[in-house]
Amino acid sequence: MTERLRRHPELQAWLILAIPVIFLLIFFMAPLVIVFVYSFLERGKYGGVEWVFTLDNIRRVFDPLYFKTFVRSFYIAIVTTLVTLILGYPLAYFIAKSPPSRRNALVFALMIPFWTNFLIRTYAWLTLLRTHTGLINVTLMNWGIIDKPLPLYGNDFAIILGLVYGWLPVMVLPIYAALERLDESLLEAARDLYASSAKAFRRVTWPLSLPGVVAGSMLVFIPSLGAFVTPAILGGGKSLMIGNIISNQFLGAHDWPFGSALSMVMMIAMLIATLIYFRWTKKSEDVT
Amino acid sequence: MNDAYAVELRDVVKQFGDVIAVNHVSLQIKDGEFFSLLGPSGCGKTTTLRMIAGFEMPTSGAIFIHGEQQGYRPPNKRPVNTVFQNYALFPHMTVAENIAFGMEMRQVPKDEIQRRVDEALAMVRLAGMGNRKPKQLSGGQQQRIALARALVNRPEVLLLDEPLGALDLKLRKAMQIELKALQEEVGITFIYVTHDQEEALTMSDRIAVMNNGVVHQVGDPESIYEHPADRFVADFIGETNFIPVRVVSLSPEIVVALDTGQQVVAGWAEEGLSVGDKAVLSIRPEKMDLLEPKEMPKSPSQQMAYVKGKVTHLVYVGADTRHTVVLGDGSEIVVRLQNSYIGEEPWEIGEETIVTWNAAHARILKE
Repeated sequence: MTERLRRHPELQAWLILAIPVIFLLIFFMAPLVIVFVYSFLERGKYGGVEWVFTLDNIRRVFDPLYFKTFVRSFYIAIVTTLVTLILGYPLAYFIAKSPPSRRNALVFALMIPFWTNFLIRTYAWLTLLRTHTGLINVTLMNWGIIDKPLPLYGNDFAIILGLVYGWLPVMVLPIYAALERLDESLLEAARDLYASSAKAFRRVTWPLSLPGVVAGSMLVFIPSLGAFVTPAILGGGKSLMIGNIISNQFLGAHDWPFGSALSMVMMIAMLIATLIYFRWTKKSEDVT
Repeated sequence: MNDAYAVELRDVVKQFGDVIAVNHVSLQIKDGEFFSLLGPSGCGKTTTLRMIAGFEMPTSGAIFIHGEQQGYRPPNKRPVNTVFQNYALFPHMTVAENIAFGMEMRQVPKDEIQRRVDEALAMVRLAGMGNRKPKQLSGGQQQRIALARALVNRPEVLLLDEPLGALDLKLRKAMQIELKALQEEVGITFIYVTHDQEEALTMSDRIAVMNNGVVHQVGDPESIYEHPADRFVADFIGETNFIPVRVVSLSPEIVVALDTGQQVVAGWAEEGLSVGDKAVLSIRPEKMDLLEPKEMPKSPSQQMAYVKGKVTHLVYVGADTRHTVVLGDGSEIVVRLQNSYIGEEPWEIGEETIVTWNAAHARILKE
């Protein structure tokens, strides 16, 4: 056996690969297949499914009642991604331009929020934002700066704020990685070739950091679209996203097939959005 | 003020924190000259170049380009272009886009850009390569693109920061000749930074030898090699023997005493030496000859030095042989003799010999 392994190194590779491949097949692919199959079945009485084929679930997804939430979720995810990009890019740039000794400390600081459970952190935001008892409104009213509480809670603003807060580091890290790799002499070359610093940024820094921007945007957009903790807590039960409806189908309404159908449609929509985004960034990369 | 200089540095100092990278450097570089800044790494040559380019600002002193003081002008406002050590080609642009970049920034009309890019590609013999990405080219080709990208802007001065450093020896030699020919063709002032003395000697009209932020000597290749101004230059450029001596007299003739007490004449002494000082006699290995003791002339010429020694080591290096000779005082010197005559009896290790040289070739330098 060992003799054969030695003679066929590719066999060794397969043996090593076998474990992750089997793991992925069972625990990654199988749930997807189950979700796919369930979306075409009828609901059981107390959760579960009846093995009867139907297209009703898929049809229900496009019912305006749910479809509107779909569109809103996309809107929230897109705005979240844009805001994290606008905040994250300068932050990543600042870290990448810091002296090497300070860079690791800054990246480390960026990761500190991850040490606390996301749920707890979101509740912490709740104490800040709540309309009548939130720290921000109470303070501002005590100081007499405002006389009516600001609408900081229970709306899209609160959800986007919570999501931006949660996903900002995920946007910063890939952009930082791209900027840190950027050869300083390329910028000097651009400046030497009569580019102003703004032009040098637009023609050299930005296109060369684009892979980081794409990766960061994907990493923020996808979980933002499917978010359900943040809208559940900061949306105040009024402002919901598609993730809340899906979780509700499984945990509250016991309608597994409809929950599966919503997930399927969301996944396909996300895939299409991702492809469009990739195509678009590829094109702008070719132009510059 | 003299406008004839392409670049003039007046008492330029550059400090990074506590480190003085460039220490009171003044240089005058003539129009159309191929001027090299030569020195070991960390000698301040690259910092000097970067100050001319505008990437660094001098701590004090002034830099003039064609008589115009540059002050705090940013790089994009200076009439110079740079060829970077690692080429710094934009990896996300094609070769043609790289070359067009500078003209685009200066809003040269599109059709003129197109024409000049094609001309520049032809000039560096890479016509038809415009649509490739820099990564698809070899090191030598990338080097030429970097050159084309800078020269296409017709700068008043071209700055080159060790542009051949990354190439292998054979390609480097070929590029040296090409670069020199190109410089003569376009007639632009080149300021060339290198640590390779042979490269500097081969290409330059004039060389500034630098060390520790200070310019030690400025001159044409011959005077730098034949008449080194101090011990650093003599040591850094080519191979030199340093024989410890003591100054006996400085005029009318320069006379020094070896450690054995023997007195020899020398052609030149560094300024600031006085009688009684310890010094070194510097002489190139190829400027000396070996005589058999019996060949010693009866009435030796005043202009020749004769010193007894013993051959201790021989290294055959093809065109010539390096003879290591130990003198009476124990100091070792190397004598290079050409292997020009077949049948001539070669020296053997252990043989007594007389080392001889013309006093004009001996230079007395501070220790």
